[in-house]
Amino acid sequence: MKKILCGASALTLIMIAAIPASAQDNSSDSQLNQQLLQRIEKLENELNALRQAVRQSAQTANAAQKTAQGAVKTVAAVKKQTAKLETGSYAGAPSDAKWHLAGYADAGFTINDKASSNSFGGGQVNPILHFQYKDLLMFESELEFTTSGDGETNTELEYAQFDIFLNDYATLVAGKYISPIGQFKERLHPSWINKIANAPAGFGHDGVQPGSDTGLQLRGALPVGNTRFTYSLAVGNGPQTTFEGGVKLEGSGKDDNKNKSVGGRLGFFALPYLEFGGSFLTARVSGYEEPAGHGDAPIFISADRPALAVGAGASNARFTLWGADAAYTKGALNARFEYLNAHRAAFFSPTAEEPTGTFLPRLGMKAWYGQVSYRLSGIGDSDFIHKLEPVVRYGEFRISGHDELEEENAQDRFNIGLNYWLAPTVVTKAGIEWRDFKVPGVDSETLYQFQIAYGF
Amino acid sequence: MNNLSKITTGIAQALAVSLLLLGTQAMAAGDGKGKKADKPDPMQVVRGAKAWKNNCGRCHNLRSPKELNDEEWDVSVAHMRVRANLLGFEAEDIKAFLKASN
Repeated sequence: MKKILCGASALTLIMIAAIPASAQDNSSDSQLNQQLLQRIEKLENELNALRQAVRQSAQTANAAQKTAQGAVKTVAAVKKQTAKLETGSYAGAPSDAKWHLAGYADAGFTINDKASSNSFGGGQVNPILHFQYKDLLMFESELEFTTSGDGETNTELEYAQFDIFLNDYATLVAGKYISPIGQFKERLHPSWINKIANAPAGFGHDGVQPGSDTGLQLRGALPVGNTRFTYSLAVGNGPQTTFEGGVKLEGSGKDDNKNKSVGGRLGFFALPYLEFGGSFLTARVSGYEEPAGHGDAPIFISADRPALAVGAGASNARFTLWGADAAYTKGALNARFEYLNAHRAAFFSPTAEEPTGTFLPRLGMKAWYGQVSYRLSGIGDSDFIHKLEPVVRYGEFRISGHDELEEENAQDRFNIGLNYWLAPTVVTKAGIEWRDFKVPGVDSETLYQFQIAYGF
Repeated sequence: MNNLSKITTGIAQALAVSLLLLGTQAMAAGDGKGKKADKPDPMQVVRGAKAWKNNCGRCHNLRSPKELNDEEWDVSVAHMRVRANLLGFEAEDIKAFLKASN
């Protein structure tokens, strides 16, 4: 095709060049000129027709190429889906909305040398629902179903939060979320992850570790060379005063005053397997305006109102917490340390014992633990040995300013245990826990704990 | 209300407004897709394997890639991106590795 075009173009040029010469040599031969002009016009028409044909051919070739590419993609997609159908892992056509049911469950048996009975425990299940819309957001929620000592089924909403993915470095969280303070509650408390059957002293219920909060959280990470900084900054309703005069560190659906809690955690990976973190939380807690019965919604003193009938004094108080943590997680070795220190200032509030109002002294709480576990995966040739994981943990919990809380909870706690991993997400635990209570007159306890836990 | 309380309340309110604005901007920006070129990256699976080993094993045992299918890994990794403070592109690498290995 190109040869034809080139030939036609050359002939045209020759003829154009020849026209003036012919005119000069034989100006009277106008007829010949006329014929030449007609031939030129004819050749130009043929040239245009050829150009049009070339353009059409190119368009046809492009269309054919696109069709072929589409066919190749279709064949690849069909092959992939066929392979998944054959392996039984097909979950339907890709869609904008995806979901996943996860969670964990456990059951166990505990022998307490000071208790009047030994009990099967657990019967606990925590289903976690994840719903994702494209790469824009996720809604996730965890429910906790437990069986109480008298056979009742307790239900709690552990968290229900929206995760809005802003960019590679930030996610906005809204709703009720697990507290980002420290490491244990947010990352380690699920029974299939926790190396020991229960939480360290002070890091469970009635402890210094906040469990959850309701509000907004901005969290993410910033890369620094081969490692990164992490951040989780939160604004929430914050803690509240309990009926007994303690501090409830769980997320509430309604704030007790206009002051919002501000807290979070900053982390840094010095090495990919060595993490350091620091946490903080500051908030104000209010007293009750009217004593409410258990199950009733409490009515709180407004933030700027004077105290109750007991006289002048603050009707709300500042709660402050700070903490530090570290984790070394390389290979089979897993070592952790956490420390939390909190206090609530003195103020007036009614309690269950003093419904007309009473003075609550400064409440102080601090707890720490260190834990080391080692998976025997590299020792010997026995599969049984490879699945064993010894663990040891020691921790302390101290309380001041609240006699009842101190009597029930202040203690040194020492644990040893041996875990056997049936699968990467299924573990059986056997351990001994020594509790040395710090209030004189409260007997120490020894617990023998057995548990099976499954993360799914 | 003392000065510290007012300052704290102010910081909390400013942070809350900032968070809301950030979220609103992200919502207005679109569906969050298409930020990156859609070209296949042959090293993504390699990076994903390394990130999977370094991050997922930090708190719990490594789960087998065969435990979940592609869509379930999409959702599960998105959840862990938030919980473990993973970088967005790091989470994408991990997903690529898990999907290539299940």
